[in-house]
Amino acid sequence: MKKIYISISLLSFIVLAIIGCEDYNKLTAPEVNFGSADFTRFVAIGNSITAGYQSGTIYQSGQMYAYPNLIAQQVGTKFEMPYVSDPGLGGRMEIQSLSPFTIYYNTASGTPLNLNYTAPYNGLGVPGALLYDVLYATSSTTCASYVFGGTPNPYFDLILRNSALNIGTQLQQTLAQNPTFITLWIGNNDVLGYATSGGTSPAAPTDATTFGQLYGAIGQYLAQSGAKVVVANIPNVAAIPFFTTVGPQMVQLGVPVLVYFKSDNQTVAVASQNDLLTSKVLVTLKGSAYAPYIGKPTSKFYTDNGIPVPPNVIPDSAFGVNPYNPWPNALILDADEIVVANNAVTAFNTSIAGVAQNFGFGLVDVNSIFNSLRAADFTGGTSINGITFKTTYVSGGLFSLDGVHPSSQAHGIVANEFIKVINTKYGASIPLIDVGKIPGSIYFYSRISYKQGYPIIPNEVFKHLLF
Amino acid sequence: MKKYLYIILLILGLFPGIILAGGFQINEHGAKAMGLGGAFTAIANDASAIYWNAAGLTQLKGTNFLLGTALIAPNSKFRGVTPAVDVNYMKSEVFFPSHFFLTHSFSPSFAAGIGITTPFGLGTEWSNGWIGRYLALRTQLTTFWVPITFAYSPVENLSFGAGFVYSFADVLITRNNSQAPFAGDAYVELEGNDHFAYGYTFSLMYKPLKELSIGASFRSEVDYEFEGTAIATGSEQLQEIGALPSGDVTAKLTTPMNIVGGVAIQVIPQLRLSADFQWIGWSSYDSLNVNFVDPETDDAASGRLYKDTYIIRFGAQYNVSDELSILGGIYFDKMPVDPQYVSPTLPDSDRLGLSIGADAKLFDRFGIVGSFLFIRASELTVTNSEEIYTVGDSPFNGTYNSSANLLSLSLYYHLQ
Repeated sequence: MKKIYISISLLSFIVLAIIGCEDYNKLTAPEVNFGSADFTRFVAIGNSITAGYQSGTIYQSGQMYAYPNLIAQQVGTKFEMPYVSDPGLGGRMEIQSLSPFTIYYNTASGTPLNLNYTAPYNGLGVPGALLYDVLYATSSTTCASYVFGGTPNPYFDLILRNSALNIGTQLQQTLAQNPTFITLWIGNNDVLGYATSGGTSPAAPTDATTFGQLYGAIGQYLAQSGAKVVVANIPNVAAIPFFTTVGPQMVQLGVPVLVYFKSDNQTVAVASQNDLLTSKVLVTLKGSAYAPYIGKPTSKFYTDNGIPVPPNVIPDSAFGVNPYNPWPNALILDADEIVVANNAVTAFNTSIAGVAQNFGFGLVDVNSIFNSLRAADFTGGTSINGITFKTTYVSGGLFSLDGVHPSSQAHGIVANEFIKVINTKYGASIPLIDVGKIPGSIYFYSRISYKQGYPIIPNEVFKHLLF
Repeated sequence: MKKYLYIILLILGLFPGIILAGGFQINEHGAKAMGLGGAFTAIANDASAIYWNAAGLTQLKGTNFLLGTALIAPNSKFRGVTPAVDVNYMKSEVFFPSHFFLTHSFSPSFAAGIGITTPFGLGTEWSNGWIGRYLALRTQLTTFWVPITFAYSPVENLSFGAGFVYSFADVLITRNNSQAPFAGDAYVELEGNDHFAYGYTFSLMYKPLKELSIGASFRSEVDYEFEGTAIATGSEQLQEIGALPSGDVTAKLTTPMNIVGGVAIQVIPQLRLSADFQWIGWSSYDSLNVNFVDPETDDAASGRLYKDTYIIRFGAQYNVSDELSILGGIYFDKMPVDPQYVSPTLPDSDRLGLSIGADAKLFDRFGIVGSFLFIRASELTVTNSEEIYTVGDSPFNGTYNSSANLLSLSLYYHLQ
């Protein structure tokens, strides 16, 4: 009897001991096939988009989702970037309230996190960079904006760090890394500056011939490096929310016509409601600050921007309605200016396609992709990974609060377009990114709350305060 | 502001996860039954018969008390989301569903009993910020049964039981929702309770031979109508425009009926073997409705696919002496949902249970039963999940592994 008792309990314990162990099958993630592409040393050249710039600045939680960084994660390669802790380098746009829609300008500043990295960054996107800069800019005072316009661009110092590295331009820093794979998305600013300034500053996009020559020169260098190269072209600037938001809003709020200055600041023209609704003229997002004054006597635009009131303007007359106080040229892109911008985009894209063809680069046709996203706005939007995207401001999900730069999720869409080209061109099978996994990137301004009697003030508020 | 309606819909989507996983039935109502792998319907010879088979109460003489608890320590992990194989661990927690039963024999042919126990319950919690946070953070359901039962034996080898069950329950569900296109997550908490629900039981026990006992037991569905609140917190700016609604809600939940048949054979005087077949009617649950009390807020209804399921149980009791017996059991528990509906609120799968225990009569009137049960859920790889874990439409595919360790102790006391 005792024997049976012992054997039953012994058996039970053995059984329990065996099944009690961690016995689950090993799982392995599928291997990614890169085809003939090699991502060992991957460098991305570009401007603010490549830098992951959103809502007016660069900040880590946006830079993390910059399209080249997403591509690097997807292929599992190292990608060093000039991260800046949130909320970025100062001036991030945040939502103060949704109704009424109010934007807060967050003056708090984060700190650069990767300044001491001893080699050039893999992410060589410099906000504000023009095509010229890739070849010639080494610092804030050798970039095109300073050389031709007297405005230094400190991003060149922050990202190229030539005072420490002394390696040179975006191009030189790229080649110095002996790259195996390069993406190049540059040229947007060669037309965007013209367009966002309402066709005033600069007064014309980069000359198409110059653009072709510069782009060809860059292409030559990249081809000689032996790396695989994928380039992207320039999307139609006139369809971004920076231009498509305020005009239709004016009509909705009952503005009957908009009387505006043409580019000579002399001629006065009239935009009908239909012109405003159908993008025949484009009122810039900067104009949202002055739209509430339409029909009222004001010289706010001139005083705000430190511009003397022009002699042909009478501030006491109705703003934007009376021909003696027209809507300023700097806040509108009229039909003639739109043609100039569009022609520039077309010419640039012809150059880019030609260079890609010449050197056997992959080409991401961002322009076509963006145009089809824009076209789908009028049929309910485009569904990607189950999310409906439109090109509309904020609600469309594709753009950050500045109305120009893509949101984190839009970076996912862009990265996928690069991956599709890489897969086709190099026989790779890199999986696409699930855009739904990328978090929203439009920030709310956290307001100070007095709920418990004491003010709750976030610690970082005092970081930059001097006593 | 139609744009933000989706957040409301997500709140309403909170409930299904918990209900579509049938495995939140708790079958631990007394250490003896647990030690026998739950194959106790044809035995039902202690006060826990109130739950297992009230007809068995006529076997008990005098007044009997049984008080105990089960210590349940589940663990689960999820590897995914496919193609990733990252491991996510469920937070480890220990639960103590307890039971108390009191029976009294009024005559050799008539007995009654009352008790309290927890027939359905669930508690899962995953880490803040984990990949499935839009599906589940904390999910907790507790139901209590207070059965009042009677047993009548018209002839010596046949007995009938019937009972009324008063029940109350509470539920808490929390999870995150994305605020995309805006940064950050909202947090949604839904809690509710039902103070009065009821069910009933019928059972019988027949002993055609001295060595052979047959039992059958029916436990009805219980309809709960939870009343509570849904609270969504997130950015003030979204709250101001009513995109994160909070309000009173009602929601219905039906726990399934159970029909169990069992047999027990006294093989030799020292050894008794028992077996149960338990059928669980989950298919009775086919749709889910969550209603906001405020008529301004849209309600939601959704269809749910449940299947009836079963558990097969085997037990053995070996009497070492008049004072000591050894218990052993094994059971197989078939999952009630198709894999595509499995969610991290309850990582369900087919389960195998193995138990051992001992029943020791310490004094003339007082004894103690201790049992240990190990449950291993078979590895479940979901490839066609209907559970969406992103702001888009990405399925929560991956591999679940779960197991649980249970320890139960019951004290019994007999008054002549």
